[in-house]
Amino acid sequence: MSVVISTTDVCRFFGDDDETLVKAVDHVSIEIERGEFTAIVGPSGSGKTTLLHLIGGLDNPTSGSVNLSGTNIAAMSGTALSDFRRDHIGFIFQAYNLIPVFSAEENIEYIMLLQGIDAAERKRRVTEILKQVGMEGLADRRPNKLSGGQQQRVAIARAMVSHPEIILADEPTANLDSRTGIALLDLMKELNERHNMTFVFSTHDEKIMKRASRLIHMQDGKIVLDEKK
Amino acid sequence: MLLFKLAFRNIFRQRRRSLLTAMSLTGGYVLSVFSFSMSAGSYNNAIAFFTQDHTGHIQIHKEDYLQRPKIHKYIEAPEDLSAMLDANERIASHTLRVFSPSIAYSDTDNTPAQVIGVDLDRERTTSTLAAKVSEGSYINSEVDGEGYYSAMIGAGIANNLDIGLGDELILISQGADGSIANDIYMVGAIVGDRTSSDRSTVFLPLAAAQEFLSMYGAVHEVSILLNDDGRAREEAEALQNLLPDLSVDPWQVVEATFYQSMQTDKRGNAVFMGIIIFIVFVGVMNTVLMSVLERTREFGVLKAIGSRPAKLAAMITLETILLALISVLLGLLISIPLILWFTYSGFALPEPMDVGGVLMSHITGELSPFVFGAPLLLILGFAIIISIPAGVRAALNSPTEAMRSH
Repeated sequence: MSVVISTTDVCRFFGDDDETLVKAVDHVSIEIERGEFTAIVGPSGSGKTTLLHLIGGLDNPTSGSVNLSGTNIAAMSGTALSDFRRDHIGFIFQAYNLIPVFSAEENIEYIMLLQGIDAAERKRRVTEILKQVGMEGLADRRPNKLSGGQQQRVAIARAMVSHPEIILADEPTANLDSRTGIALLDLMKELNERHNMTFVFSTHDEKIMKRASRLIHMQDGKIVLDEKK
Repeated sequence: MLLFKLAFRNIFRQRRRSLLTAMSLTGGYVLSVFSFSMSAGSYNNAIAFFTQDHTGHIQIHKEDYLQRPKIHKYIEAPEDLSAMLDANERIASHTLRVFSPSIAYSDTDNTPAQVIGVDLDRERTTSTLAAKVSEGSYINSEVDGEGYYSAMIGAGIANNLDIGLGDELILISQGADGSIANDIYMVGAIVGDRTSSDRSTVFLPLAAAQEFLSMYGAVHEVSILLNDDGRAREEAEALQNLLPDLSVDPWQVVEATFYQSMQTDKRGNAVFMGIIIFIVFVGVMNTVLMSVLERTREFGVLKAIGSRPAKLAAMITLETILLALISVLLGLLISIPLILWFTYSGFALPEPMDVGGVLMSHITGELSPFVFGAPLLLILGFAIIISIPAGVRAALNSPTEAMRSH
């Protein structure tokens, strides 16, 4: 198995002086292999979301390096980083974060449009992924006409449709009821196995922990336990 | 296309706010178009009155006659020049004139007068002199049975000398050869009223004036009307090249004081319009910034999933331009009939205004691509400018920070 994510001594500190300094991520070095279904777990404020953002290139580390498929994204500029995220990473957020003026179909299609994929291929992929996430027939609905679970299904479809190597999911089940959360996790697990995509979650949801193939425990910005099942 | 769709839908996301912004932009556009039309229309009317009243679009003189008029600075034997101007297809008409200050006498009184000898036939097609005759009729160049030429006198002279149609008028002046010029004329017409600029003028047939001033066929001035009044400078330059011994000037030079005050006034209007449009755009900028601020989280998401910062800035610019275009289209629908009415009917003045002896009863506008196009470009230009700070803000925000906002 090849390593797709590796961080070396990565730090993310907030604040300027000793009194206000917050070490959100403190010298973290991890390696995650292709196809892993990893959960970064820990209490609130432990740094799991910050680490996820650093891995996703949404935030810049104070020091250290973040390598995705051999590319140090910490050294990338805004546009190059945007392109890298577009082509290599899919994001699933706790609050779904769909574009409210787009339909489900358009939300999924948008990222492919950024990639310059032609209309026919976009259409084919949207139809296929909507079917995979069980959203056929709801393609034309805007987010405000979808339930939380349905919105998160669209978000999963949006994250996966461009065939990224890595899917980063920040508390994806936090706003969902238990049954919907389980259904979506099963769906993500199935997609993980079918497409061999690497999933990294930040969560404190037991359901995710139960399904994860690896649990990285964080506390006070440091990894305190790394267990592979 | 999806970016266009996104921009378009974002406009209609906050309908009420977009409607208010569009109304503000539409109002600004209509106001600008109306103002441009009125300004252009007023100046064009003034220029038309000015040039057609007596100045013409181009004037030809000897040496520096325009700056320092002297009776001996005349164009000799202007027949060849006149024939050349007649053959020029870009020239609608021209007329020949002589000038001299004089003293006008009646049996009982005297008054200063400006004598202008005019080629009566050519003057009729080059200036509005014939239309300014308020009493009697436009004279001819023949002597009457008693051997007198007719004269058309300004209403001021008629009043000062207490003379009218058919009365005798005696003129005394200095001839070009230094002799004392004096002669008797019959009043054939009164020109304008006592407020007209011609109130102290005596118009004589050209031959009569040349004889009176001992000018022997020479003239002081050739006034030219062009087919295209916008080409006065170019045509004057072309004629100057053909006539190196004469001075050829466009109306902008002949009426330099008027032209400069018009230009100053135009600049003042432009500043005034700029202030109006600036005020409109401060409101619009506020709306655009608000719309960007409340979508900070959304821009963060768009960046997170791979939108380039420049694309976000472009989307905001596109939204602003689309809103401006919709507003301008609405503005066009309103302003086209308004400007059509303003150009062809205009505002009736409570009292007709005398402009150079011609009564002006309406203020009219101008219908031209400039009138509609200049405010359009101004509004689109401003739209692009005000979208820049909002776009830069959206582009530079870190996705993490942006997604933290609510």
